[in-house]
Amino acid sequence: MSAKGVRALEAELGGRPPDGLEQLSDAQLRSFTEALHEAKGEQSEALQSAVEQALEIVPRMVRGAARKALFG
Amino acid sequence: MSTPLNVDVEILRLARLVACEPKALAYMREVDPQDIRDLREQVTVVMFDADRQMLQRVASAARLIPTKLAAVIGERAFGPLLCARLTGLLEPSRAVDVAAKLPTPFLTDLAIELDPRRASRVIAEIPPKQIAEITKVLAEREEFVAMGGFVGHLSEAALRAAIAVVDDEALLRTAYVVESKGSLGALVATLPTERLETIIATAAEQDLWIEALDVLGHVSEAQRGQLGDIAAGQDDEVLDSMIRAAQRELLWVDVLPVTSAMSAESRARFASLKSIQTRPVLASIVDAASRHGLWPELLQLLPLLPSAARRRVAALGTGFGRPVLAQIVTAAHARGLWAPLMQFATELERRTKLLIAKLLAASDDDVLDGLLDAVWEERLEPELAQLAALLPKAEMSTFCERLVKRAGEEFIATLREAAQEHELTALAEALAALCDG
Repeated sequence: MSAKGVRALEAELGGRPPDGLEQLSDAQLRSFTEALHEAKGEQSEALQSAVEQALEIVPRMVRGAARKALFG
Repeated sequence: MSTPLNVDVEILRLARLVACEPKALAYMREVDPQDIRDLREQVTVVMFDADRQMLQRVASAARLIPTKLAAVIGERAFGPLLCARLTGLLEPSRAVDVAAKLPTPFLTDLAIELDPRRASRVIAEIPPKQIAEITKVLAEREEFVAMGGFVGHLSEAALRAAIAVVDDEALLRTAYVVESKGSLGALVATLPTERLETIIATAAEQDLWIEALDVLGHVSEAQRGQLGDIAAGQDDEVLDSMIRAAQRELLWVDVLPVTSAMSAESRARFASLKSIQTRPVLASIVDAASRHGLWPELLQLLPLLPSAARRRVAALGTGFGRPVLAQIVTAAHARGLWAPLMQFATELERRTKLLIAKLLAASDDDVLDGLLDAVWEERLEPELAQLAALLPKAEMSTFCERLVKRAGEEFIATLREAAQEHELTALAEALAALCDG
C-alpha cells in the first residue's frame, strides 16, 4: 500500500484509517476510497433532489416558510 | 469469553453504509474485523457530516408541517435512506409520531439503513406493536444483521414483542450478529424456559450450535448455567449434535464454560455421553483447556468421566510440561478443585506425577494450606502420599517438614497411615522420623 493511497482515504475520512487497512493493495484502497466518495456524492445529490421534491409537496401557504428554513 | 467479530457481518454493515454490494468489498476479508468496524465508525461520521447542515435544516423544517404531511414527504420525496439519516436529528416524540403514519414496508427499509446508535431514543419510544410489525418483515427478509443492530436499543416491552413474532431459527441467527453483545443477557432474560428449550432443540435440528454457543458465551454465568441445564435435559441426540459441532468447529472454548456453569447433575449427564469420551474429542477438550486456560472447567469434568475416559485424558496429559502443570495447580487452588486434581494426578504416568509432586512441594504456604485443607476434608491422604512418595529423598524430607509445620500431628499420622497402607515405605519412614523426633 502506498502512502498516496492512504492519504487519499485519509482525506475522504477526515482522519487516519485503521492500521489494519495497510494490508490492502493500492487498487483495493483506491476502490474503497472511490466507493466512499461516490456514496457521499450520491447522498448529497439525493438529499438536494429530495428537498426540491418535498417543497413541491408542501402546501403553498407554508412553502415559503419551509424554503426559508431550508435555505436561509 | 470473547467471540471474534464476524468478518462477513462487518463487511455487510460497511457495504450498506457506502451503498455497495458486500461482494464489492470482498477484499476486506483479509482485514481484521475490528478494523473494519472501526472504519465503519469513521465512515458513519463522514456520511452524516457530509450533509449535516442540510439534514439539520430538513429536521427543523419538519417541525413546521403536520406529522401526516411529514410522513408523506418522507416516503415520497426522501425515501428510506435519507429518512434513516434524518431520524436521529428529529425530536424523538416527533419522529415516533411520523413513524406511526408510515407503512410497515417503508419503515422496514428505513430500519435496514438506520444506524440504531444514532437514533436510540427514537427506537426506544416506538410502540412495541409497531416494532413487532417491522421485525416480522425484517425476519421474512432474513435481515438478521439489521435486526441485530436494534437489540440493546429496544424497550423491554418492544423486545418481547419482537421476539414473539420471530421463530427460533431467526432468533438464533439474529443473536449471533447482535452488535452490542452485552445486550444478549437482557434478551435471554425475556425468554421463558419453554422458549429456551425449543431454541436449544432448534440449534440441534438446524445445526445452529455456532450461533447458540456464541449466545452462551455472552450471557451471565447464571444464565449460562440455566441454558446448560436446559441443554443437559434434552435427549442424547441434542447433546451429541452439540458435541459434534464443538468438535467440527473447534468450539470447546465455548462449551467448557457452559459445562462449568451448569448444575453438578447436568455436568454428570454431559460427562456420561459416549460422544464426549472418545479420544479425539477428549484431545480437543484438553487442547482447548490448555490454549485458553480452561483448567478449572476441565478439572470439574474429569471426576465425572468413566475411568477409561479419564485414562485417555491422563495419557494426553503425559506431554504436559512444568508450566502447564503449574497452571493446573494454580487453577485447582484458585477454584477449590484440589480433589479432582489429586485424583487425576494419581492416574498420570510417573514423570508427570513427579512434576506435580515437585510443584506442590515448592508451592507457597497459602497454596499448600489450601491443599492440606482439601486433603483433610476430602480424605485425599492416599493421593497426597502417592505423590509425595515420588520426591527425591532430600525434597521429600523438606516437604514432610513443611507438612508437619503447617498441618499438625493428627494430619501427619493419617498421612503416615496412608503411606503404610500403600507400602510407600520411604515416605512413611520420613514422616515417622519427624513425628518420633
